[in-house]
Amino acid sequence: MAIGETMVVNKTGLHARPAATFASAAAKFKSKITIKNLDTDSKEVNAKSAVSVLTLGMSQNTKIRITADGEDADDAVAALTTLIDAGFGEL
Amino acid sequence: MIEYTGTVVSSGMAIGRVFLYKPFVPEIIRSEILDSEVELNLTQFEQALAAAGSELVKLQEKYAALNPEKCEILSAHQVMLEDEEICDGIRRAITEDHKCAAWAIQLTYDTFIDILSGLDDPLIRERTADMQDVHNRLQRCLQGVPESALNCLAQPGILVAEDLLPSDAVSLDVKSVLGILTERGGTTSHTAIIAKSHGIPAILGIKDACTIFENGQEIVLDALKGVVLAQLSEEEMRLSRDKLASCLKDREEAGNYLRREARTKDGVRIEIKINIGSAGDKALEAENYTDGVGLFRSEFLYMESSCLPSEEAQFSAYKKVLEAYGSKPVILRTLDIGGDKKLPYMDLPTEENPFLGKRALRLCLERKDIFKTQLRAALRASNYGNLWIMFPMVGSLDDIEAAMGIVSEARAELDREGAPYRSDIKYGIMVEIPAIALVSEFAAEMVDFASVGTNDLCQYLTATDRMNPELVSYYQTYHPAMFRILRELIGNFAAKGKSISICGEAGGDPAFVIPLIGFGMRSFSMSASSLAAMKRMIAHLDMETASLAAENVLKMSRAQEIKQYLTALSLHLLDSQADTNKV
Repeated sequence: MAIGETMVVNKTGLHARPAATFASAAAKFKSKITIKNLDTDSKEVNAKSAVSVLTLGMSQNTKIRITADGEDADDAVAALTTLIDAGFGEL
Repeated sequence: MIEYTGTVVSSGMAIGRVFLYKPFVPEIIRSEILDSEVELNLTQFEQALAAAGSELVKLQEKYAALNPEKCEILSAHQVMLEDEEICDGIRRAITEDHKCAAWAIQLTYDTFIDILSGLDDPLIRERTADMQDVHNRLQRCLQGVPESALNCLAQPGILVAEDLLPSDAVSLDVKSVLGILTERGGTTSHTAIIAKSHGIPAILGIKDACTIFENGQEIVLDALKGVVLAQLSEEEMRLSRDKLASCLKDREEAGNYLRREARTKDGVRIEIKINIGSAGDKALEAENYTDGVGLFRSEFLYMESSCLPSEEAQFSAYKKVLEAYGSKPVILRTLDIGGDKKLPYMDLPTEENPFLGKRALRLCLERKDIFKTQLRAALRASNYGNLWIMFPMVGSLDDIEAAMGIVSEARAELDREGAPYRSDIKYGIMVEIPAIALVSEFAAEMVDFASVGTNDLCQYLTATDRMNPELVSYYQTYHPAMFRILRELIGNFAAKGKSISICGEAGGDPAFVIPLIGFGMRSFSMSASSLAAMKRMIAHLDMETASLAAENVLKMSRAQEIKQYLTALSLHLLDSQADTNKV
């Protein structure tokens, strides 16, 4: 099990396109991956589902936690936090 | 032969087969299923999922080159369709809760739509419209109903529908639509504007058209006379074909005037501009034979998109048009939403009288964020051409002041950011509300120009809802009051040396504009399809005739009388062989 925390940096937040990009990146891993909005203390949702990611309503500066459980858990958390930190090409 | 009468909104003629357009409205059966039925319902869902997926793939292939933005939306739809949580949710609702497939799909989508619509972020809230779209597609595939989309007519035909929405216009396959026939919509409805801008003959207001006509049935749409003919004998069909041939010939003759500069027989130059809704090729190509854009309807940009268009998206669309028209003026009308024009992603409160409500500028003054984004985009684009900005729905000098106040704010922001814009942008008003026309001597001092929106001016002046087909006879564009108010307006603007033009539908009606030329108006803007016929009429007109027509019209007391007089006059002008600068 691996856990990573970071903050949404891109201006528009995790709206439609970034949410889809994020979910499809998550889907490449075998591990079970969840994401949680730490600001609202939301429940953990399936990171491989773009619509679920959308429901967390994450805007710029929202703090988040990514949890992965499985054989490639470490790689998954590393890749997904990097993706968020890179701002989905909006920076 | 059976004859049906309707209202002509775009003249011309077409003979062809009926293409019945019925948007799919899912009717969902809510039933609990037995254990033994679970497997069947799961299979039904998986099949619908696969079918909807392959529809989306095909559409994306089709739009890949044609319309990249639409393609991106379709790809987002596919992501939603195949979303793990949604699909698993549906499967669980079938296996665990024993809901039938249709109900399971609906419940699952509703759950997510509810969550998303409760979020603070408007960008995310707007996604619910897409989810609803995907939901409907899935339900339709579940019922095995093929997509009846306006973008995939199998062969050229006459489109028969209850009504067309602005969003339908975007996907309309204009090359395959020979004619349009709808149950609803008046002469200035959206369907009418769509039909006119593409030069598609159209008759609206034929009651129960969708039940009367069958898919594939051959009909004659005679939008010269305002009738639709069905079940014709061979002889009747032959006559119709002859009429169609002569109609096409007349259009071709008028077409000879399209590329000529508009000048009256005695040499007075009249500006002929075009009304456009987008930065499409056809709109840009018209630069070759027009004096500019008299009305750039910016709301289409908002309607074609699934969320509020960004400053950048607007900037690039405005820039494209301004660049294409170079030094010729481009009149950009700021967002005109409300009334009959709605944005699916903007939750506007329902009003009892939307045409008298918070529409256009009134809405923009309240939603300053939206207005300012548009103004910033327009100001920045001004560097690329000759931009005129026009505010719709102005009723008083206070409105002008308030709008200009926000322009100043947008300018100040750009100044701070060091973003350049031209200092010679012209600002003007659309004259639709009779009140502003009646104080036009004061308004003319505050603005650089005015353009008359005859559709709404007539609607407000005659107190007639222009969308109500029952009231067509009350909606009198040729009402004597229209000519009186226009004379005063034209006089007041001309006296101050300010530009005054007309961009409503009447601006493209050759008969209607004759007396206006007599009143002193020298600029008219119209749909692409009206340009040639208007230039032909002007080439046959002389100023003495125009002045006389203006005088005569003011002596007439009834709409019918004026209309008959001007129609006869315009036909007489064309008949006379006095056109000295013949092609």
